[in-house]
Amino acid sequence: MKVSLNWLKEYVDLSGIPVSEIIHNLTMSGLEVEEVINQNEIYKNFVVGFVKEKIKHPNADKLSVCKISNGTEEMQVVCGAPNVEAGQKIVFAQIGAIVPNGNFKITKAKIRGTESFGMICSESELEISSNHEGIMVLSSELKEGTPISEALGLDDVLLEIAITPNRSDALSHFGVARDLSAIFDRKLKLPEINLEEYENGIKDFASVEILDPINCPRYSAKVVKDVIVKESPDWLKQAVQKIGMRPINNIVDVTNYIMYETGQPLHAFDLKMLKGNKIVVQSTTVESQFTTLDSKVRKLPANTLLICDAEKPVAVAGVMGGENSEVTSDTKNILIESAYFNPSSIRRTAKALGLSTDASYRFERTTNAGGTIYAAERAAQLIAELSGGKVAQGTIDVYPNAVKQPVVTVRFARVEKILGYYVEPEKIRKIVLALGFEITFENDEQISVRVPLFRPDVEREIDVIEEIARINGYDNIPTISSFSVPLGVKHDESSFYDKVRDTAVGLGFYEMINNPLQNEKTAALTGNQIGVLNPQSLDMAYLRTSLVPGALMVAAKNFNVGEKNLALFEIGNVFNKNSEETEIKSFSDFKEETKIIFLLSGKASLKEWHGRDKNYSFYYLKGLINSFLNNFTLDNVLNDSYYHSGNRIFDFIFAKEHDGNLIGNGGRINKEVLNYFNLQQEVFCFELDLNLLEKLSTQKSKYNPLLKYPKMMRDFAFIFDKEIEYEDVAEFIKKNGGSLLQFVRIFDLFESESLGVNKKSMAFELEYFNENRTLKDEEVEKDFNNLITLVSNKFNAKLRGN
Amino acid sequence: MLDEKIETIHSEFLKEIPEADNSKKIEEIRIKYLSRNGLLSSLFEELKNAPKEDKPLLGKKLNEMRNSIAQTFEQAKAKVDTTGKFFENKIDLSLPGITRAIGSKHILTQTLDEIKNIFKGMGFSVTLGPELESDYYNFEALNFPHDHPARDMQDTYFINNNFLLRTHTTPVQVRIMEKEEPPIRAIMPGRVYRNEAVSARSYCMFHQVDGIYVDTDVSFAELKATLVSFAMQFYGSDLMYRFRPSFFPFTEPSAEMDITCFLCHGSGCKICKGSGWLEILGCGMVDPNVFKSVNYDSEKYTGYAFGMGIERIGLLKYGIDDIRIYFENDLRFLKQF
Ligand SMILES: [Zn+2]
Repeated sequence: MKVSLNWLKEYVDLSGIPVSEIIHNLTMSGLEVEEVINQNEIYKNFVVGFVKEKIKHPNADKLSVCKISNGTEEMQVVCGAPNVEAGQKIVFAQIGAIVPNGNFKITKAKIRGTESFGMICSESELEISSNHEGIMVLSSELKEGTPISEALGLDDVLLEIAITPNRSDALSHFGVARDLSAIFDRKLKLPEINLEEYENGIKDFASVEILDPINCPRYSAKVVKDVIVKESPDWLKQAVQKIGMRPINNIVDVTNYIMYETGQPLHAFDLKMLKGNKIVVQSTTVESQFTTLDSKVRKLPANTLLICDAEKPVAVAGVMGGENSEVTSDTKNILIESAYFNPSSIRRTAKALGLSTDASYRFERTTNAGGTIYAAERAAQLIAELSGGKVAQGTIDVYPNAVKQPVVTVRFARVEKILGYYVEPEKIRKIVLALGFEITFENDEQISVRVPLFRPDVEREIDVIEEIARINGYDNIPTISSFSVPLGVKHDESSFYDKVRDTAVGLGFYEMINNPLQNEKTAALTGNQIGVLNPQSLDMAYLRTSLVPGALMVAAKNFNVGEKNLALFEIGNVFNKNSEETEIKSFSDFKEETKIIFLLSGKASLKEWHGRDKNYSFYYLKGLINSFLNNFTLDNVLNDSYYHSGNRIFDFIFAKEHDGNLIGNGGRINKEVLNYFNLQQEVFCFELDLNLLEKLSTQKSKYNPLLKYPKMMRDFAFIFDKEIEYEDVAEFIKKNGGSLLQFVRIFDLFESESLGVNKKSMAFELEYFNENRTLKDEEVEKDFNNLITLVSNKFNAKLRGN
Repeated sequence: MLDEKIETIHSEFLKEIPEADNSKKIEEIRIKYLSRNGLLSSLFEELKNAPKEDKPLLGKKLNEMRNSIAQTFEQAKAKVDTTGKFFENKIDLSLPGITRAIGSKHILTQTLDEIKNIFKGMGFSVTLGPELESDYYNFEALNFPHDHPARDMQDTYFINNNFLLRTHTTPVQVRIMEKEEPPIRAIMPGRVYRNEAVSARSYCMFHQVDGIYVDTDVSFAELKATLVSFAMQFYGSDLMYRFRPSFFPFTEPSAEMDITCFLCHGSGCKICKGSGWLEILGCGMVDPNVFKSVNYDSEKYTGYAFGMGIERIGLLKYGIDDIRIYFENDLRFLKQF
C-alpha cells in the first residue's frame, strides 16, 4: 500500500525523527517498507514555466516551437502536444531533469533541425497520474520558476508498504500512524468530526434494511443534499494521486480519501437513482447479471451479497458499485454507504468475479466494524465542505448483531516463556494502550485487555504477545548461547537417497532435476496421469507418471546445443492414479513413488591417444545398473529378465525383479518414442523404484571369511551356432562344472568367416577353489575335461585348439 | 697377470651393470660374463694354467669375484623383472593421464546437503513427506482457514477440492506431530509447487527446507540463536543479521530473517534492491492452532518453525540470474558444480 509521510504527520507528530529512522522502524515492527519515493529528489530541475510564445515548427506539422520563461531566462523548447498555447503556465523540465516516466535525462537536443532546451511535461510523464493526453496546464496564479515539488505539493515522501494479510488495520493511514505512535511514543491525534447538519432528518430521505445480517452485520449511511459535483481542489487531487488513484470528482475523491485515511471503504450513491429511497442488503439465490460502474456486465453466482434499492440491485456489496446509481455530474443528493461485510462473503464474490478492488481487498481482510459511523460522518463533512452540500441530520445505522470485542488475558510469565526474555509489565501496559487496547483488569501476574474492533487479528493471548514483541522490537529478544539436544534416536529419511546419489555420481552420472509438470500426451505415455485443475498452460497440466519422459526431453535439449554424450540421472517422485477412471478422493486412490532414472547416450569414452572411442550401448546400461546395484548388496536378491519387444518405450528391454515384483526396467528407447521426443541418436534409460530398493537393501549382508587356499584358473573357447545365447551356456557350465567350479566369466566373443557361417566363438574363464583345502591339479583337470565334453555335446560346440 | 685381469673384468662389470636397465641388456651381460663361453669361464680356464703356488690365492679371488658378480647380477635382473618396462624407455610424462569419469550432484542437491549437515549437527532429524498433498495438511491444519486471504500468499495448483500440489514443506510438520510426541526436532526438505507464470525470477516449483522444534520450553530466543548459528555456518561468520516481524498463519509471533547482503556487504546493490539486506528465511513460534490440530497441549509445549527456499540461495551465491537454468539440465551447467 502507498502511504504518504505528510499525510501520516497529520495524525502523529513525527518532528525531529529522520525519515530513514521512520522507515527502518516501520520495517522492524512488521510494516515492511519496500520502496521509498522521495518527491524532492524526483522533481529536482522541474519548475513552473510560462509559455511566452508559440509558433509552428518549420519542418514538422505536429510540432510547435515555444519560448518558455522560467522567471530568470527564456528558453526555446520544441513541443509535440496539441494543447500547448501561449499564456499557459506549464511544468517545465529543464536541462538535467530526469523524467520519472521512462527515467530519461533531459539534455540539449535538436528536433527536426530546431534546437530545444527542455521539455514541457504531461501528468503521465511526471507519474502523478496516467493522463497522457497533452501537457499538464497549471494554475495561472503560480509563479514562474517555482519548483514543481513546491507548486504541486510534491515535497512528500511516499512509502510502498507490504501489508501482511493479518494487518487489515494497516491498510490505512490511521493504522500506520497508530503503529508509529506506539513505536516512537508519540500521541496519536485523529481528526474530530465537526458536522454542520441540516435540520431535516435523514429518515426523511432514505432507509436501510438488512435481509442478510450474517453477511452484512452493519450498514451505516449518511445523506448529503444539494451537492455540486465538480473537480476536487488541488490538495485533494494531489492526495489521491499520491496513493496511486486517479482524481474523478469531489464526491468520489472524498470517498477514496477517507478509505485511505480510515481503512473503511465507502460508496456514494446518487440518491435519486435509488428507487423508494431505499437500501436493501440481501444475497441472491440464483445466478444473475449486473452492470458495474466500469460498464462491464458481470455474471453473479448465487449467494452474492448485493446492495439493492426497492426494486433492483445497485451495487455488488463490498466489491463495486453499479452503473445505474453512480454519482454523475447531474447528481444532487447522495447517500454515503459505510458498511461492515462478512469477509468470506466478499472474498468469494471477488474471486468469482475475478475482480479485486481497493474495497474488496479491505473487506475480505476484515474492516473495522466499529468505525463505520466515523467514516461516514467524516466523508459527509468533507463532501459538504467541498461541494456546497448540506448534511441531513442523523446517521442511519443498522447493526443487528454487534460484533464482539474479545477480552484477552496476557500472563507476564507466558510472555517470557514464548519470547525468552522478561518484558517489564509497565512496558507491556504502555504498548497495549498505544495500540488502542483497553485495559480491563491487571495485577502482578497478568493484564486483561479489550481488543478494539480495528484489530480483528488479535483474539488470543499469543496475538497480544506478538504485538508486544514487535513493538518492543525483535532486536530486544536475546539469542541464547547454547541449547541441549536430547539423546534420542535421530533419523534421516533422506540418507538412502544420499547414498543412491553418491553411487550414481561415482559411476559418472550427472544429476538433473526436472519439472514434474508436463503435457497430457507425454504423461500418458508411461502411466495413469493425474491432471492439475488450474494449470498455467497445457504444457504443464499433468504430473509425470515416470521419470523417463523428462529425461528424454533433457536429452533432446542437450543434443540441440551440441552436448551429445550424456550420462544423467534424476531422483524424483512420480504420480499415478490407480486406474484411468479413478477419481482422487483419498491417498489410496493414487501412488506417489520415488524413483531414479539413468540415461545414457552418445559416447562412453572419446577417442584418445591411448585408445579408441566407445559408444554407450545396451551393455553399458546393463553393466552400470549392475555396478550401481552392487553397492546396495542386492546381487542375489534380484532376478534379471530380457525381452526384445513388448514395451511401449523400450525395444531392448532389461528388467530387475524381486519375488515377482518389478523393481526397475529399461533398455533402448524405441524408434517411435525417439521420434516423439525428436531425438536423433540412440538413448538408453533405466528406471528403478527407490522405495522398493530401500526396503530390500536394508537387509544386512553377512561377513564371508576370506579364502585361505589358492584358486586355480582354466579357460576354454568353443565355436557355437550363432543363436546360442551366452546365458544358457554360462548357466550350463555353472551347473555342470563340478563342485569345485566357483565362477564363470566370458572374456572373448567374436564372429569370423574362418569360424564358419552363422558361427561364433565364446571363450570362458573358469575359477576353481575350495574353501577348506588346496586343490590338486588332477581333480581340477578331471572336472575341466569332463566339462569340455559336456559343453561340446550339449551345444554341438567345437572346442577351439590351444 | 691373471690377477690384473680379474680386477679389470670385475670393474668393467661393475661399470656396466648399473646401465642394464632392461631385460635385453641384462641378457647381454649374462652372456658376456656368466654364460658357458663368458668371461668368467675363460678366467677359470686360465686358472688351470697358472703357476701352482699362485693357484690357491687366485682361485679364492676368482671365486669371490664370481659370487659377487652373480649376486649383483641377480639383483639387477630382479629389479628389471619387477619394474617391467619402467626401465625400458623414457616416456612422455606430459601426456594427459587416463581418466575415469565421475559425475556430480545437482547444485540444488549440494546446497541442500550443506544445509542438512548443519542442522543434523545441531541435533535435527530429517523427515520427508508427499508432494501431492491434501488441503488439510497443506492449509487447514496449518491454520489457513477456507476463504481466507492468507491463502493468496501461496498460489496453488489444485488437483481437486481436497488435493493439491503442496505449496510448502510445512505440511510435513503436521505429519510428524501426528505421529510422534514431543520433543520433536526435525528438518523437512523437499520439492514444492507454486502456480506462478514461469519467468527468470519465478518457476512453477522450487525446493524448500522446513524445520520444527517442539518441547516443553522452547522460546523465540532459542529460535533466534539456532537460526543465527545456521546462518553463520552457512553464509559465513562475519555476517550481520536482523529479525523483523512478518506473518505466517502457522506461526505467531512470525519473523523474517535478513542477513547483510554478501555481494555489497550492506552498502546496497541491485541484488538486495539497495537495502543492504537479503531475506533468507521465514520463521516463528508454532501457532497454538497448529498444536490444536495435532492434539498437542499448547500450554505444556511451545515450539518454533522455520522455512527457507533453496533456489534463491544459489541465485544469490553463484550469481545465477535466471531460475529456469536449474531445471534446463544443460550438461554445460551441470558440469560446473
Ligand atoms: Zn547488496
